[in-house]
Amino acid sequence: MSSGGKGKAAMKRDKKDEEASGNIYANLDKTSVLQEARAFNETPINARKCSLILTKLLYIISQGEQIGRTEATEAFFAVTKLWQSKDANLRRLVYIVVKDLSTISDDVIIVTSSLTKDMTGREDIYRPAAIRALCRITDTGMLQTIERYMKQAIVDRNGAVASAALVSSTHLMKKSAEVVRRWANEVQESVSSDNHMVQYHALGLLYHIRVNDRLAVNKLVQKFSKNSLKSPYAICYLIRIAARLLEEDDQADSAIFTFIESCLRHKSEMVVYEAASAIVSLPNITASELSPAITVLQLFCSSPKAALRFAAVRTLNKVSIKHPNSVMSCNVDLEKLISDSNRSIATLAITTLLKTGRECTVEKLMTQISGFVNEISDEFKIVVVDAIRSLCGRYPKKHTVMLPFLAKMLRNDGSYDYKKAIVDTVIAIIEENPEAKGTGLAYLCEFIEDCEHETLSTRVLHLLGREAPRTNNPSSYIRYIYNRVILEKSKVRAAAVTALAKFGAQCVDLRESIKVLLKRCLLDSDDEVRDRATFYLNMLTTAPPTVISNFLLDGLQVSPSGLERAVLEYLRGNSFASPFDLKVVPVTSQPLSQPQKRVPTIDEALEAPKPAKKEPYAEKLAAIPDFAALGPLFKSSPRTALTESVAEYTVHLIKHTFANSVVLEFDCKNTLNDQLLLDVSIEVEDPEQEWTPRLSIPIQKLPYGEAQSSYIVLDFPDSGSISGTLAATLKFKVMDVDPTTGEPDSEDTYDDTYVLEEVDIAVSDSVQGFSKTSFNPAWDALTDETEREETFQLSSVSSIPEAVKKISEILGLAPCERSDRVPEGKTQHTTFLSGIFRGGFEVLAKATVAIDPHDNSINMNILIRSAEQVVVDLVVSAIV
Amino acid sequence: MLAMVNRVLDWIRSLFWKEEMELTLVGLQNSGKTTFVNVIASGQFTEDMIPTVGFNMRKITKGNVTIKLWDIGGQPRFRSMWERYCRGVNAIVFMVDAADEEKLEASRNELMQLLDKAQLDAIPVLVLGNKKDLPGALDERQLIERMNLAAIQNREICCYSISCKEKENIDITLQWLIDHSKGQR
Repeated sequence: MSSGGKGKAAMKRDKKDEEASGNIYANLDKTSVLQEARAFNETPINARKCSLILTKLLYIISQGEQIGRTEATEAFFAVTKLWQSKDANLRRLVYIVVKDLSTISDDVIIVTSSLTKDMTGREDIYRPAAIRALCRITDTGMLQTIERYMKQAIVDRNGAVASAALVSSTHLMKKSAEVVRRWANEVQESVSSDNHMVQYHALGLLYHIRVNDRLAVNKLVQKFSKNSLKSPYAICYLIRIAARLLEEDDQADSAIFTFIESCLRHKSEMVVYEAASAIVSLPNITASELSPAITVLQLFCSSPKAALRFAAVRTLNKVSIKHPNSVMSCNVDLEKLISDSNRSIATLAITTLLKTGRECTVEKLMTQISGFVNEISDEFKIVVVDAIRSLCGRYPKKHTVMLPFLAKMLRNDGSYDYKKAIVDTVIAIIEENPEAKGTGLAYLCEFIEDCEHETLSTRVLHLLGREAPRTNNPSSYIRYIYNRVILEKSKVRAAAVTALAKFGAQCVDLRESIKVLLKRCLLDSDDEVRDRATFYLNMLTTAPPTVISNFLLDGLQVSPSGLERAVLEYLRGNSFASPFDLKVVPVTSQPLSQPQKRVPTIDEALEAPKPAKKEPYAEKLAAIPDFAALGPLFKSSPRTALTESVAEYTVHLIKHTFANSVVLEFDCKNTLNDQLLLDVSIEVEDPEQEWTPRLSIPIQKLPYGEAQSSYIVLDFPDSGSISGTLAATLKFKVMDVDPTTGEPDSEDTYDDTYVLEEVDIAVSDSVQGFSKTSFNPAWDALTDETEREETFQLSSVSSIPEAVKKISEILGLAPCERSDRVPEGKTQHTTFLSGIFRGGFEVLAKATVAIDPHDNSINMNILIRSAEQVVVDLVVSAIV
Repeated sequence: MLAMVNRVLDWIRSLFWKEEMELTLVGLQNSGKTTFVNVIASGQFTEDMIPTVGFNMRKITKGNVTIKLWDIGGQPRFRSMWERYCRGVNAIVFMVDAADEEKLEASRNELMQLLDKAQLDAIPVLVLGNKKDLPGALDERQLIERMNLAAIQNREICCYSISCKEKENIDITLQWLIDHSKGQR
């Protein structure tokens, strides 16, 4: 084994010669390091040798090497033998190793006495590290035995000792808050320490002790803002606490803001910067309140210290999105920074200027960048590209300047990431601004004529297939696409064939010429290209329009793993008389091949909450034999809480919809360390008597801190109803246990219940939204016989985008063709929604929302279509 | 005269051969292990000690012998770890509270369990019956009987009755320990 390891190591060294040399710890083998650790048991101790072994051990742990419990425990006890050595360096390494092994080894409390002795002993160099190690190995149950020493350490005259105790206590707050709260007096005492670091750490701990009590935090800020703290670190921390108070409360005391503002005149630059940065990120701040902070940052812009200039320009960059007018006063200083020798500062300066620049200054800035862009690294070029993108969002008309500029950047040499950023930006501009479409597509066509990155070529071809047929002159693009078929590698050729077919599908007058081109591809050397060409040619020649739109324009919208599972089941079923039904395959809201949208880093776009992932649930549910008969999983809802997050028992609900049933999964967690729960089940009751549980799977044992799931299976009622509200109660038996060991005190149990929030089953649980790339052909394919029309007033929302979002949430349908984006200032908007109803029925809807300019009331008219009348009626029931 | 020469020789030898020995001190909680360590290290007796959570490592020099002493906590949760610290030592010292009738049986069981471990074969054991100053404390003979020490055959075993408080028999205990340091083994 070891020789094999060496062989591998040697190969690695050859590959990365310069990296490996110099690092004696590279290529360490876990087994041999653990073997070496046995030297700790030898006597006498060789301190030098043992220090080296400990370092190796630390290195492999930090590299993420997994060490098993038995091995770790063995190593840990060997390490404890090193306490006999008086070598200071060795002992300090021992503390660090103890910390690292504390979570992966058993019985670590064995070193409690030794650490306590070291932390109270005479060797000052041992004390802080011993405190940190001790707090790491001590659990809540043991904490009381060291409480006395911790209190003493917090007020110790030695700053390093006090700081170590304070920081360790802050960590202990996470698991043993109650005990640490008892030390508040000592902590308070150390806030008045003369040592800057101690004061800072003490203030931090004091805040954490009180963080849940708003009033106490308020008092804390008021107290310490008056009797001025000495430590600049502590003041910075106080500013952060104060800023958070202001953020959370609109009616906060004005004294708090006055305090932050007064810090702008502090003698420490760090405090001044912290205050300025706090002020500029406050919500609802007025221009007059902002200006002193901006002035300070402006001064920093001309500081001789690069760090200060960087901090200032970076902060200004951030503010410039929200308050462009206030930042504009710094424009002169920022322009000077464009030629800063530090390129990070220069780039931030220019992107800030791009964001604050008025429409008329854009041209001037662009010329400045072009003189500059070739000198910076690709990484910063990407920052510039992102700035251009956000600028295009604000001044759509300026695309006439931006696009040529981007095209020029595209022509220059650059890495893949850089090119990708530009292509992304051009695509974003095309998607957001219909006017820019023609020029943008033309630049992209030019780009793929000479593009070395296959991924980018295929992306552009995909975009051309989708967007170009809807332009005024689609035929002009065909030449570029067909050139790819002749000139490129197979991957790009295949993408080009697909793009051509999309032209054929959407532009009837071009169809004949497209067929001619596709016929030429039938002789391609690559299988995939030939297959695609044959398929498309056949479709275009024989298929009716609805089939063409379903299979050529909309991709297959199923989850790959779901498809795999369904096909496997079909193959096992042995009944090949009926064909495989695609409808049983769970659909996803994301099409199979959707490139991930890159969020520009400088736009502070909030990340949307991720949709519930179906795959892990499907695996988990399939493992439960009682659910085997339910068929494939159709949809899983997001996880919602049925209790307060601080309740004794927390329960989260996930609704899993199957063809004829709903499975309610209750994630239960026991947060009481003195209780063991037995026979945990959830009882649901429907006041309407429609939904009755068919099966309930309880949790046998729920110890403290663990989360487990209980399930209830409900069949869809015969009445045809698909929604309901059920009362839910958590039922269980309690056994009292010893908090430290988890052993039961006695065998006695008693019954208890806990009322949960109601469980809502809604129409949206039966509908899986998925976005169609071309809505209208699908809409026309469904007859209007089953159509239902409803008009109603929305009282709970106040704007059109909100209404659009709401309706798509209620119905569970997903918006198509980006019709959920509402142009600003419009009083009427139509959005296209689509989805799949349980059982595989397509549901489409057109919703028109209008806002009354007089009283701002919102009205909605919605048309719903599906092949099945009953589906339409059920979906409509969600809104009436 | 010869004795005199021998003593001088011993002294010179001790300059070159510093003996080192390693001991592990175990026994039920509150039997006086940490107190014993303090008494032999400093000669001071201190009552009312805090229970040992884990172990204490002490180095004590007596004449030309340096004794490394692992003093392990006696609470139930540490007993499973005794063995780890007993491996390869020169002697195991097992402390018994001779005045605590009730715990005697538990004490005997723990000792037997420890000595059953194959890794500890042939390591000499010294059983100390502490607190002989208290009324009703067992003497050596009684202790040997109650602890069933006669049954232990495969190793050297010895039993003293001591008092840390009155410092009784501490000297003979030390002598026994020093006799079992490396050189004599």
